[in-house]
Formats: sequence, C-alpha cells, structure tokens
Amino acid sequence: MKSIDRRTFLKATTLATAALSAPGTYGLAQVVQNRVPSTAASSGDPWIVDTNVNVLGWPFRHLKYGETGALVAKLKKHRVREAWAGTYEALFHKDIDGLNTRLVEECRRHGDGMLVPFGSVNLVWPTWEKRLQICHEVHRMPGVRIYPGYQPFDFDHPDFPRLLRAVAERNLILQISLQMEDPRVHHPVVQIGTRKSGLLLNLLREVPHAKIQLLHWGQDSTIRGRNFLPRLLAAANVFLDISNLEATEGLGRMFAGNHWEIEGKFPVERFLFGSLTPYFPLECAMLKLFESTLTREQMAAVMEGNAHRLRA
Amino acid sequence: MNLNEFALSPTVYGLPTRDELVELRIWDCHYHGFVRTDNDRKHFETMRAVERLGIERVIALDIGGDTNPPWNTFIETEFDRRKLEILRQYPDKVSGVIRIDPSDPDASCRKMEKWIRNGPCIGIKYTDGSMNNRDKIPCSHPNNDPIIRMARELGAVVYVCAWFLVGGSPCRVDGANRPGSSTPLDIARLAQRFPDVPIICGHSGGEWELAPDVIEPHRNVYFEFAGSDPHSGSVDYVVKKLGADRITWGGHGPSRSYATELSKVLDADLSKTDRMKVLGRNYRRITAGIFASKGIKIDV
Repeated sequence: MKSIDRRTFLKATTLATAALSAPGTYGLAQVVQNRVPSTAASSGDPWIVDTNVNVLGWPFRHLKYGETGALVAKLKKHRVREAWAGTYEALFHKDIDGLNTRLVEECRRHGDGMLVPFGSVNLVWPTWEKRLQICHEVHRMPGVRIYPGYQPFDFDHPDFPRLLRAVAERNLILQISLQMEDPRVHHPVVQIGTRKSGLLLNLLREVPHAKIQLLHWGQDSTIRGRNFLPRLLAAANVFLDISNLEATEGLGRMFAGNHWEIEGKFPVERFLFGSLTPYFPLECAMLKLFESTLTREQMAAVMEGNAHRLRA
Repeated sequence: MNLNEFALSPTVYGLPTRDELVELRIWDCHYHGFVRTDNDRKHFETMRAVERLGIERVIALDIGGDTNPPWNTFIETEFDRRKLEILRQYPDKVSGVIRIDPSDPDASCRKMEKWIRNGPCIGIKYTDGSMNNRDKIPCSHPNNDPIIRMARELGAVVYVCAWFLVGGSPCRVDGANRPGSSTPLDIARLAQRFPDVPIICGHSGGEWELAPDVIEPHRNVYFEFAGSDPHSGSVDYVVKKLGADRITWGGHGPSRSYATELSKVLDADLSKTDRMKVLGRNYRRITAGIFASKGIKIDV
C-alpha cells in the first residue's frame, strides 16, 4: 500500500491547516469547498465514477444539491469525473419518453458531458419495450435504471424476465434500485412494501451475461440474508454500489469476509462507487473508501476501474 | 502497515485529513462496540476505525446488563466485569452510559448508584420500547421521575432513543412505534418537568424535519442524528431550527459506518467553531461536571 509521506502530507494540508487556525468563522466547509482537487492530485490519482446520482427533483423535499448545476459543482469538487444519472421523475411519472428526454437534456446542459443519462422503463406501463428501444437506439444510453416498488411492480412481474433478456441482448447495464430511502421515514402516503428480492437469484441465473447493478441494496434483508449474496454473485454478472453499505469498515470487511452482518467474502471487482447523491451526502460514500484500510489498487478499482470495465 | 495512513490523500478528494479530523475533537456519544456480543473483540476491532478516523473518545451506550437478546437491564454478566476493566483501563478513550428500565425505577436507581455514583459511568440510556422495557413505559411516564431526579443529583446525562416510525394502518407518522417507545413528544414532556437535566433526543427523533420543532422550546434537550440514514442538508436544517449549541454527534459503530455519520456533519455549511460544537464540544460541555466528579478533567 502506498502511504502519504510527510512532505506530501504537509504540502497538501498547508492551506487547510492555515485556514483552520485562522480566527473567525472560516471553517472546514470553506476549506473543502475552496480546494481544487484536480490541481492537488498527482497524475496517478484515480478519478471517481459515481454510478448512482439522480437529477430533476426529489418529490418529497428540496435537496441541498438538487439543482443540477449545484450537483455537478459538488461532484467535481470531490474528483468525480463521470456520474451515471437517473431521474427522480421515474418514480411516479407515466410519460416515460418525456422524462427520459428531459433527463438527456439536463445531462447535456450541465457538466460538460460528465453526467451520463440512465433512463428508465416501467414494466406496468404498456409498451415498455419501445421505451427501452428509444433509450438505447435514440438516446444512446449505456443502461437503464428501474425502481421496483415506487414503480408498481415486483420481481415476479411476468415481463421482468423479458426485460432481463432485452437488456442482455442490447448489452445494456440494468441498474436495479432496491430502495430510495429508509422506509421508516417514508411519507405516510408511500407504502411500497418489501421487494421479493429472493427471486433475483433464479431470474438472474437465466441471463448470466446480463450486466446487472444493484443500487442502494444494503438494507434489503433478503439480499443481506444468509449466504444469499455469495450465491447471487456466483450465479450472475451482478455488481453492487456502496451507497448504503453499512457497518464500521464495511467495505474492507466485505473484501476480507468478516462483515459483522453480511456473510461471505466478496471480490473487489464487483463493487462500484455509488453515492445516492443528492439525497445522501456525497461524503458518505467517499468516506467509506477511507474508513476501511484499503490498498490503493482496491480504492482505484471501486472508484473508477470497475465502472469502466462494466460500461465497456 | 500503519492503520492510520490512507493509501490515497483525502485532500485530493475534498475530504478532511486525519489530522484535520483530530483537530475537530470528535466525541462519539453513541457507541455500540459492546452490544450483541459477550467478548471484547467487537470493541477492539471497532476502535481501530475510531483511531483511524481521529475520533477522540467514544461513549458506550450498553454498559451494565445483558446486551444480547432477549436483553435484560438488571442481569449483570461476566462480560460486564470486562467492560468495567476497559472503562477503567482507557479513561481517556472510552466512557460509558448504562441502560435503565422505567418499569422498575428502584432497580434503575440502584443500578445508577453502582455504575454512576460509585462507578465510572456518566449517564443513563432509555432504549427502544422493545428492549429493556418490561412494562413498555415511555420516558414521559411518571415512573421516570425518581430516575431523572437521581440523574440530576449525579449530574448524569440522559440519552433517549426516540423515534417517529412511519407505519400502521391507517399510516401515521408514529404508527410503527413499538409499545413503550419514546417519541420526541415524550421527551418534550419529560424535559418540561426537568428543565435543568440535559436530555439527548437520539436518532434524530426518527424524523429530523419534524422533531426539532417539538423539542425546540426545551433548552435542555439536545439533538443527535446517529442510527438514521444520512440526508444531505439535515444538519443545516436542524442548526437553523435549534442552533449549533444543541446538537451532539454519535457514530453508532460498528453497526453503522462512521462514514455515514460523519458525512452528515461534513455535508453541512458550518463554521469550524460550530462544527466542533456539533462533533464534540456540546457533549463535553454537558458532561464536564460529571467527569470532574470522577477526577477526569475535560478540556471543553
């Protein structure tokens, strides 16, 4: 593991230390905000591909970085060079073509190409195949994101195997968002229940080459359950984001096979950086990389290498 | 390998360095390294991350009593002796709070005598209604008065697991609360009777957008976010409602990631002074007295 030597450390932290020592209210937030990570970085420092961001308005609250311009600035401040963006509109809207088009336009308008649109399809609205075709052939998206539960279908929906086959044939990434927020804080009008995640094992086994990424899966009791995740990863081409992977040193423990609550030892190649920003603080996923004692190679793989390979 | 070194520089990623975290003097007032176990392995492994992230002190919420299901507040275990040794061996790093049960005020007060007045602990904890609460009594019930009177006499801090848990049919904001669970409304009622006892409303009361208004009139009530999901903007919001002087910080390790809990505060637009208050100074301020009574001088 490459560590930071004293000279590099001192150089990198001079500004921060000076600011922290200064009188008045110039605090850590300002220090962090004033940094330009790309100039402080060496050429070999990995960038970050954030595979789980969303744009266009969370339905239940004004989000601090909810405006796309502010979101992009925040991502850049933390050395995120590419962000796979879904849209909150996909949770409830019926006009799927409309929201996918708005998503594409929003991603074009902000970030100089760093936002990569991941549109959606909704299996319960008729003609979802056509929507998938448009995402792929018109918008040239590398994948689509679905939100079972908010979108009122579960994994036992009769069209779900067809969706899996379709994304596999088109070589699209299918992102499956297992949760958008802790059910304990749902607005009372939102009663989406629990997904039948256990079905994923047999369903995904049938499409072993489909590129599947589970998003915000960390609190799904079935997926966390006894020996489920090792079997799922063995059976299918499944990748995981880290947005709500909990436990102290959780990421390192997944690699070492000694997570307090999730059984199994998992290869670093299956983990992608994903933050659920702007709903979650971007710092949450960022700090997970530093909380565990990871090697530079492990960090780089999660930060960008694995995402590049999945998208290739 | 030095466990306190990072393979990449946090500065490059817009994050504080370990030295900057140390300088913030972080106190984790919600530590679970002793829960659901009967040995010290979980504690010492968790302390590795505590050290790595520059956290100055942890306050364990599970001292005294069996902390394995089915839970028992008043049955002391062999492991309690080990916890006591750890508290005495590391007085500058690990502190403790004991669980009480308002179903039995007398036994709770006896436990406070043993572990707080005559022991190393600095406060009491009300757990969720399903654990350590035989008769399902929330913290607002009159049974609590002798317990809180003793807390006042000892200068002990009072931590309450508080939740608005959405659920039920018809669905309500507290419809999924278990019998005996305390809500922020219970804390407000208790605080009104004991305005001079510091009480921490834990877990952001379940709903950080709703709970602050409930406790705002009670200046002795503090707000803590641990054990709830990190929501961008939440700390900014609560600082605006309650002020930075009324927030404490907890890590909830090892069941939660320290990254999760720290991110809530790093996300907020706070001055260095206010960030330090939230991450530790406020807790030091309300516990300096009881630490002093045990011969431990705290630099607030």
